[in-house]
Amino acid sequence: MTQTFDSGTRPGGPGRSGRSGGLFRRDSAFRRAPGRRRGSPRLAVGTLIVLGLAVLVVPVVARLDQQLVDLGAASLPPRPAHPFGTDEMGRDVLLRAVYGLRVSLLVGLVAALVSVTIGTLVGLVSGALGGIADRFIMRVVDGVNSIPHLLLGIFIVAMIKPSVGAVIVSVALTHWTTTARIIRSEVLALRSRPFIDAAISGGSSRLRIVRRHFLPHLAPHVALAAVLMMPHAIWHETALSFLGLGLPPHLASLGNMINDGARSLLAGNWWASIFPGLFILLPTLAISALTQYWRDRTSPRWRSELQL
Amino acid sequence: MSHTFTSIRTSTSSQTVGIGSRLRVDGLSVRFQISGVAPDRATVHAVTDARFEVRQGECLALVGESGCGKSVMAHALLGLLPANAEVTGAARLETDGAEPVDLVGAPEAVLARRVRGRMIGLVPQSPAAHLTPVRTARAQLAEALRELGRPAGSDDLAALARRVGLRPADLDLYPHQLSGGMAQRVANALALAGDPWLIVADEPTTGLDRPLVQTIVSELRRLTDEGRAVLLITHDLRAAEQVADRVAVMYAGRIVSLTSAAEFFARPRHPYAAGLLDALPSRRFTPIPGHPPELTMLPAGCAFRPRCHRATAACERLPEPDEVACHHPLEHHVVR
Amino acid sequence: MLFAEGSPAEGLRADGITVAYDRRRVLDGTSLTVRPGIVTGLAGPSGCGKSTLARVLAMLLRPAAGRLTVDGTEVRRWRHRADLRTRVALIFQQPRLAVDPRFTLLDVIVEPLLAAGRPAADAIAHGERLADEMSLTADLLTRRRHEVSDGQLQRACVARALALRPRYVICDEMTTMLDASTQAHLVARLESYRQETGAGVLAVTHDTDLLARWCEAGAVHHLPAPDGTSLVR
Repeated sequence: MTQTFDSGTRPGGPGRSGRSGGLFRRDSAFRRAPGRRRGSPRLAVGTLIVLGLAVLVVPVVARLDQQLVDLGAASLPPRPAHPFGTDEMGRDVLLRAVYGLRVSLLVGLVAALVSVTIGTLVGLVSGALGGIADRFIMRVVDGVNSIPHLLLGIFIVAMIKPSVGAVIVSVALTHWTTTARIIRSEVLALRSRPFIDAAISGGSSRLRIVRRHFLPHLAPHVALAAVLMMPHAIWHETALSFLGLGLPPHLASLGNMINDGARSLLAGNWWASIFPGLFILLPTLAISALTQYWRDRTSPRWRSELQL
Repeated sequence: MSHTFTSIRTSTSSQTVGIGSRLRVDGLSVRFQISGVAPDRATVHAVTDARFEVRQGECLALVGESGCGKSVMAHALLGLLPANAEVTGAARLETDGAEPVDLVGAPEAVLARRVRGRMIGLVPQSPAAHLTPVRTARAQLAEALRELGRPAGSDDLAALARRVGLRPADLDLYPHQLSGGMAQRVANALALAGDPWLIVADEPTTGLDRPLVQTIVSELRRLTDEGRAVLLITHDLRAAEQVADRVAVMYAGRIVSLTSAAEFFARPRHPYAAGLLDALPSRRFTPIPGHPPELTMLPAGCAFRPRCHRATAACERLPEPDEVACHHPLEHHVVR
Repeated sequence: MLFAEGSPAEGLRADGITVAYDRRRVLDGTSLTVRPGIVTGLAGPSGCGKSTLARVLAMLLRPAAGRLTVDGTEVRRWRHRADLRTRVALIFQQPRLAVDPRFTLLDVIVEPLLAAGRPAADAIAHGERLADEMSLTADLLTRRRHEVSDGQLQRACVARALALRPRYVICDEMTTMLDASTQAHLVARLESYRQETGAGVLAVTHDTDLLARWCEAGAVHHLPAPDGTSLVR
């Protein structure tokens, strides 16, 4: 039965057939490993909803201007009027952290989408063409990988004026290689499946096979790669900004805020960097937890490994 | 009638084990609930009211089309059904000189400690896939013997190897170095490690070429002649013909015919059994029209009625579960 | 070469085919002709290269050496690039692996028609006719491969293979996984197709009963068992 294991079985998919084979495939793939607890995704979902609402709603309803400088209220510790305190310019840390998260999430999302798109295209072309083209493309990927991400990112940003666009380009151009590798190996595995032979024999062109067979099979992998990439992209954005290479200093980004806050850390103003730091950690951990849960549930290979 | 292969049954069986043990399946039914929204929610009637008996020294073949429930039956007997299966009825292992065990009600601990490997041995569908690729046959056999609490010295292993027709030196090979026939023998050795008296062989010949089928068939016959009870689950009628003493035909989850092998192959009385035999290339090579019914939507009465050319109004009633469960069995079916 | 008679331009003709995986030579100068209108048999034990030869004949595998001609035209390009590939249909041993898990049975059957540029409505109507000829009922056509039996799936695969009316049909152990009744049904369908169109059929199987029943007397080709001498030195 394992040799006809059906990776296309929809998880929890209702089956109308009474075929015993089908039943076993479905059920054994679904049997939970005893003793293994799966984390509930509720906490992660809740965190993301709260943060998402904050990012969307606060800028609309906020009565305070996040850029408002009030040197009279500089470096105040957390208090009811300023739950996260104020920075050394007297700006409200909570408000700026929400704005900063907004920028970071946007940069993370766009950068993840761009890099996953590049990676998917490269991996697809490499895997589908094979031969010399594949070898050439994979050497380029190796080349990009051999340079530390951050260093290459810094180099790219340094060539363009610091801006949201520059950070997105820098993160996207350094992160497509992982996706390209995953997609290529998936395509190579797919290519040797008999149903691809059957499609070729039925007269399908290369393009048609990509469209009808490869892309639908790759979609879950691409989506997973994109979501996994997001926290990573956020980290890189904040790292670049922290180094003063990312967004312009006046723009509230989490990296800029930690950078600013670090200067007053020695004066004992812990709140100006700790709270923005938490704002980076929370969404990235929540997204990671969700993707882990998703992968456990949907990927049969992972599931069967868990059963062993 | 052109029989390519002659029966390899031996008239004098050399029994090495006692002959009193038997498996009695009585009214065994297996249901699966498929959850989901209205059109998809359904009950799968995988096995319904199965009754048969396998004694030591005989081989019972359970035959039928794919999806008729025969594989579920094997898993039910081994206690390997998924958690959403509902099993009713009884399947009693009546071992000589031991307390009988009901496989349906027995807790997992009893199945694991007393039954699997010790009373029932499984000959799997694809032996090569059944073995761990990274360890030698010897290591896997020794582990099986230790698990069963039996001595696992090199003499014991050599004895076990010789019993299934392997040279002791063959045990030092890795699964990929074994030929198909040797892999099958190693799988047999694993099944026999705990000296079970009942062997369940689940589609052991599917997709194999004839010489290898021959090997497996003669192994199963030898096990029967040693005094074991063999339950052969297969859709390969020619394999069944060569090894079985009795043949049970399963259709849509029910056993519709349970007769001696000689009678089944020469004068099948159930129209479905006759149809299966007529489909063989060595016979009329004519298919049975239509498809087997869905196990979620079984017709009332005889499930074979929609495909049966002899169906009458009487067939709307379920036939009595008998040797031949049919309202109008064939009397003299002429086999060309 | 098996057959001297007949026009040399006719038939699916393999000459001196050699295929090696890694260092193991699977086929070594094998020749075989599938003539139109008759059933040719190809027998041999497991691992003798029957399936490899089937893939070469279907233009899915480029041999290391040898010539393949389809009705007199030599095949020089393989897989996607082989223009004549739809003239030869291949039916696989394991239908479960030969069907995309995301496709419904109707998708499976109409895919070659759509790939050939037939309008969708036309293709679906044709697909339903093909399914009907395999006695696949309408409720089966909306199901995916894990919702049907091996036998039903292989019926869909035969319908797919016949969709573009191939001149040659290669059945690679088409029925080894199936019960006798389904086997008889599939063979009967291929026989009626052959008689109707004059197509050539290659029955690849190790089942001697099936070969004796299905193939033209004298048109059974045997491949020898693999042995140590076929290793590439």
